[in-house]
This record gives sequence, C-alpha cells and structure tokens, in this order.
Amino acid sequence: MECVITIELGTNAVRVVAFDLNGNAIASAKGSYPTFHIEPDYSEQDPEQMFITMLYVLKNLLSEKVHPKNYKVISMCFCASMHSVLAIDKNGVPLGNAITWADNRGKKEASELKSSELGKKIYDTTGTPIHPMSPLIKITWLGRHDPERFKKTYKFVAIKSYIIQQLTRGYILDYSLASATGLLNIYNLSWEPDALHYAGITADKLPDVVPVFYSPGKLRKEYQRSLGLTDDVKIIIGSSDGCLATLGGGVWGEGKAIVTIEDSGAVRTVGKEVLKDSKQRFFNYLLTDKFYLSGGPTNNGGVIFEWFATHFGDFKTPFDLDYTLTNLIQEANAVPAGSDGLIFLPYLLGERAPIWNANARGTFFGINIKHEKQHFVRAVIEGILYEIYSIGKILQEHRVINSLTVNGSFASMPFCAQMIADIFDKPVSVGKNPDSIAQGSFLLSAIDMGVYKNLDEAAATVLLPTTYKPQKQNHTLYQKYFAVFERLSTKLYDEFEEIAKLQHDPMS
Amino acid sequence: MNQFTLLKESSRDLDLFPHIKEFALTKNSTIQLDSFVIGVSDSIQIYCVIDGKFEWILNQCPHTLYPGDIAFVLPGQEIGGAKGFLDIGTLYRLFIQVENVKQGAGMLGSWSSISESERLAIGNILLLNKTPVLKIKEAANILCKIRSEIMSQEIGYLTRVNHLIDSLFISVARQSTLQADSRRDFPRTFMKLERTLRLNLAHQWSVEEMAALFGLGTTSFTEKVKSFTGFSPMNYLINIRISEAIKLLKRADANFTNIALETGFYSSQHFSTTFKKLTGYTPGQFRKRNASQNTLDNPQSYGMRNHD
Repeated sequence: MECVITIELGTNAVRVVAFDLNGNAIASAKGSYPTFHIEPDYSEQDPEQMFITMLYVLKNLLSEKVHPKNYKVISMCFCASMHSVLAIDKNGVPLGNAITWADNRGKKEASELKSSELGKKIYDTTGTPIHPMSPLIKITWLGRHDPERFKKTYKFVAIKSYIIQQLTRGYILDYSLASATGLLNIYNLSWEPDALHYAGITADKLPDVVPVFYSPGKLRKEYQRSLGLTDDVKIIIGSSDGCLATLGGGVWGEGKAIVTIEDSGAVRTVGKEVLKDSKQRFFNYLLTDKFYLSGGPTNNGGVIFEWFATHFGDFKTPFDLDYTLTNLIQEANAVPAGSDGLIFLPYLLGERAPIWNANARGTFFGINIKHEKQHFVRAVIEGILYEIYSIGKILQEHRVINSLTVNGSFASMPFCAQMIADIFDKPVSVGKNPDSIAQGSFLLSAIDMGVYKNLDEAAATVLLPTTYKPQKQNHTLYQKYFAVFERLSTKLYDEFEEIAKLQHDPMS
Repeated sequence: MNQFTLLKESSRDLDLFPHIKEFALTKNSTIQLDSFVIGVSDSIQIYCVIDGKFEWILNQCPHTLYPGDIAFVLPGQEIGGAKGFLDIGTLYRLFIQVENVKQGAGMLGSWSSISESERLAIGNILLLNKTPVLKIKEAANILCKIRSEIMSQEIGYLTRVNHLIDSLFISVARQSTLQADSRRDFPRTFMKLERTLRLNLAHQWSVEEMAALFGLGTTSFTEKVKSFTGFSPMNYLINIRISEAIKLLKRADANFTNIALETGFYSSQHFSTTFKKLTGYTPGQFRKRNASQNTLDNPQSYGMRNHD
C-alpha cells in the first residue's frame, strides 16, 4: 500500500499526517515548539528546535504507525505559516531566531510606509497589507535597527525554506509563501523592485521562487536512513496554511467563503481576479499563478476566549481548560442572542482586518445592573464573531458569498458555528477538524501524482454537508447590535491611541 | 510572647545552626526614623506579620502586609520600609544563609533533610516566584515552634528545628505555585518550565522535578505535557538538548565532550548515539556538513536569548 505524508509547520506546533491514496488519514502526530517573547513586541522561534521537533515527530510517526503497516511513502508535502523571516549567513547558519508572523517590532516602519504613496503602490503590486507581520517590514527593521546582522545576512529566508534546505539542498520558496512577504509582484511572479529597494536588499538576498508543486530534489541520504525512507520519496514544497486550509475546506470558486478561527482567525475566498481594495484592508495571496486567495485576518480569535476562561472561568482541577471552556459555553447558551445588550470589542491584541489598528484595545460596552457573569461569557463569543463578520461584510462588497465553511478549533464548536450562521445569515458547513490544512496538502500531492487533473477537480472532492442553517430571528437581532459594534470599533480611535500610549508608558 | 533577637555568632543558642543568620520576634511600638531603610538582602529573609500593618518596598514594588502575610526575600533582592522606617506592629524575622542561590538546589543547604531532587524543585519554584508576599496561615505557628524548640533545647531539638525550617520552605513553595495563577494557565507555566530547563540544561532533570514546578504529580503532569506538546517530558527535554547542541556544533570552536555535557548528555558517546539516532548524522559529520567559518561569532549579539 502507498501513502502520502503531509507536514505542517504551524504557529505553535508541527503536525504530520499520513494519508492513503483515497485521502483517508491513517495516522497523525504533532509536536510543539515554543515562541519566545524577549521584548514585548517580539515573537521568535528557534529554527533548530523546529527542525528537530519536525524530524522527531516524523520519525516516530513513520516507525510506529507507517512502517509497521508496510505502507510505502510516495511523497512528502510541506505547509507553513506565513510571514516568517530567518536571516542566515553564507554557511547557512541562522543568525538568531526566526521572526514569526506575530512579531510587531516593525510598527513604526509599517505605519510610515503604509501612509505613503510608495506604500500604496507596493500594496497594489504585492497584495500583502503593509503591516509589521510582513517580511518586507521585518527586513526593513533589521536593516535599520540590527545593521550588523543585516550586513552578515547571506539570505533572508522563510522557516520553510530553511527546513527544506536542511532536508535537501538549495533555498527555495513557493509562490504562496512568497506572495505573503510583501516583496513579490503577484502579477508577474518575480521579486518587486520597489519593495526590494525599500527594504534595502537585492533579489539575490531572497530564496528562489517556485510553484507549489515544485520538488527540490531527493532527501539527503542521512535522513533517508534515519527515517527509513527510500530515495525515490518525492519532496513537494507545498503552500501556506491559509491557502491549504481553504483548498482542504473545499472552498473553491464563486459564492463560497471560509471562516477559520484558531487562536487567530481569517475570512477567505478564492478567485481568479485580484481583489482590489483602495483602503488596503485585504490580502491577495497566490495558490498557483491562476488562483488568488483574498480575505482578511484577525488577531483576536479563540485566544481571547481562552484568555477569558483562564482568568474568569471556574477550574475544578488544575490546568483543565477544556472542562472550563465547556462550562462557559453552557453559561453562554443560557443567555439570549445579543447578550441583552452587552457588547464586547475583542481587540486585546490590537487588530488587523478590517480596522488595521495595532493600538485598538478590548472593551465591554453597555453594561447594566442586570448583566450577570454569563452575559459577559456570551458577549465575548459574540464579540469575536462580530469581528469576523466585519471582515466578511466588507469582503462581500467585492465577492459574492452564498455559503460558508468553518474550520479551526474555535469556529467549529457547534455553539460558535451556529452563531456564525446566524450572524452572517448564511448556511454553514463544518470542515474536517482540525485537518483541513493536511487535507489541502494531500490534495496537492494527489494532483501531483495525477489522481486529479487540476485544483478544480481536487477541491470538488471535498463535500461537506450543510450542518447549520441561519435563524432569521437571531440574525435580525445580531444586525442591530453589530451596527453598534461596528461604529464603536472606529469611533474609539482617539481613546485607543491614548490608552495604548499609557499602557506602554504610564508616565508619558 | 516576649520579644527576642538571636544573631549568628553572638547568640550561643544558634551555635548548632550555622545556617541561621538571624531569628527574632519584634514588637515595634514606636516609629524610629531610618530604622528600616531599603537595602539589598544577602540571605533568604522571611518576615511573618503577627500584628499591625507594614508598608514595604520589595523589589521596587510597594506592598502592604497584614497579619498572616509573609514576605520572602532572596539574596540580591531589595527590601525596606516605604518611608524608611519599621511600622508599628509585631513580626517574626528568620534569615537563612544560602550557599549558592543561582542553583535552585543550593538554596536549602546540607542542614535540610529534603531529598536532593525535591530541594532542587523547591529552589526553582522560589527562584521563579514573582510574588514576594504570600498568605501562609501556618507560618506563624511554625516560627513559634522553632522559637520554643531553640529556647527549651530538649533532646532532638537540632533535628526538629531544621525540620520546621524545611516545612516552612515547603509551605512557601506550595503557596507560590498556587498564588501565581499558574494552575490555570498551562501554556504560560509551561513556558516557565522551558526557560528553567534551558537555564539548567546540564542538570540531570527528573520528571518529578519538572512536575513540582507545576505543583502536579508526575502522572498528571506527564499526561498534560503530552497532550500540549505531543512529547513526554523527557522527550521534550531531548528536543531542547539536541537543538541547543546543533547550535553549538555550528560554531566550530566547541569540542564534542563539552557540547555533550553542556547540553545535558552523560557523555560524548551518549550524545553521539542520541544525535545519530534522530538525525542520521554523527555530530562530527553534522559539523562537517555545516562547517561555519564564523567561529568568532557570538550568538548573543543576534538576540539569541531564548531564556531571558
């Protein structure tokens, strides 16, 4: 029997899944690695630990669950989080840790570029919103604030490029991840001179850009041996988490959108045209040269509900967050839709789409004497989903959305999935959890093997039944509260600026 | 209960307790200027409030202590009255001399009868503790018993006093894991463990020691680490060891035995076997492949500060 391995280098962990050729997962395993915050705005990961963790998880999965069943591994397809930057010297040795998508050190550089004519031009050609998450901004920051490292850097690569280079050779990056760097022209698929010039680098400082089906060559002999693999295992560079979650969720073509909420969240659509937004609110990433993934990301997803649960939930036994979350959902369920007029803005981590305001902060609004703890619980969940809806609402000015797929551990909880159906007033299906990304990676491998002719055919095999139908009455209510939510999200701009400043330095 | 002050070297009562620097019960009935100015502690200082209200500055933060509160001050930390004097009230002081505060195990000296691994765990918890003021009901009682043991000098008092000090440390360690809100936030507590492991990578960690940092038993600790990281605690530790070893291997100046010991392997042989099993390379082959010419590079200068 033959099988395909998918490897996702995610935000907190690597997930490895083995699929048979019919697309059924036969085994899976994960291993987490830490994120270091050595300064408040910094978010870094150790490339060596990511590599070793991946190797360890892969080796265990193969030797415990794949080799004993006599599966022959045909290919390994990679997926990674977007926006990471790792500086390496000419010997390929990392100069410090990898900087992750969540790193905000380039706040000043980002706001300076965003408001300029050049920034607008760069956004239009690269499709990546000008934001500290963008590698364009991170490299610019390194040039200005860490000139020694900048000077020593042979290449600025993505964490995936580094991992693939360790396993094979050569520094490469797929279209999908490259299109999320803010440095790639998404029309002609080459590094954009304006962006390179702004970052102070030349194209040879970046990895070579390749299609998602590209194979960088054989696994090095040592790894073949330690993993027990043959030398004909095909390595496929693969794509980004956002692209593959969308493909694996079967969201393809007109009328569909996907809502993903894990710690953070996003609303995405797929189209053949770039989504042009004069306010620079949406991203346009490439899956292949023919398909654009367009949408908006939020910082404040399930992580906000977990924050609430950790501090205000009841704990029966130490660290048993699942028990606490389940109880809170029950409490939320006891309150009518709209939380009797209690509204929560979830901007604890600042916000990206659609307001793109790093200084936005969380707010409970409209508290009255009758509100109880359970109202706060429900308001938190509603606030997180209003925020998702605020992205979806503006997205609908550009794209038709008739139905939604949801995935990610937060969005796919039944209580949340129903609420998404009600707030959006659209039927909702739930993606196979938590493996839409792995499913998407499998589909790429299967296309590569010729199982499917193309992406359209592959995506069409993902059939998800509609599970949640919108409830009109709730929708009408949510619309009224959302109008207040939406106004508050921009109305408090000056106060957000002031409180963020005070939180940064109370004496200022 | 009467006031008393016992000082190392000048009080014969403490001759058998070289680790006790000072032990006193003070009933302060008048305010004297500059009676308690902020200073750096050179020992572990435990204060236990019996009566009154004390306004102190601990590590640059103001704290108000009420009866039942204890202040726990490590060597190098600062303590003193907010206005430079000791407020009116009654309190115990117990100062313990420390052999080596950097090493968690050194905090409790050879006088302690706590096992070595538990001593290390308790030491680490106290080092990580961010809240110097703790509410410990039994503390006053323990200190009162220590006092009467020292005063009456009955048979076995040497052992009993040291046991009582042990039990005071255990109470402080337990309370600080409870009070730090750490029993709710697993990811945050796990990051603390990560940091501690990296700071003491050469130490031969046991699961018991790691579990103690969470205030959990080993079974439940192992289960939670497994579901959070995908690895057993020991395997997770091996991940960190190999990752750190790789970084050292890429700097051509470190020799294999040093790398092995520094990253917590028993020997260069143990390192080599573990490394090869996972990566397919021996450390030597791996270094050859990645031979770095930048031998003088100091990784610190690139912000590779994983454990700050």
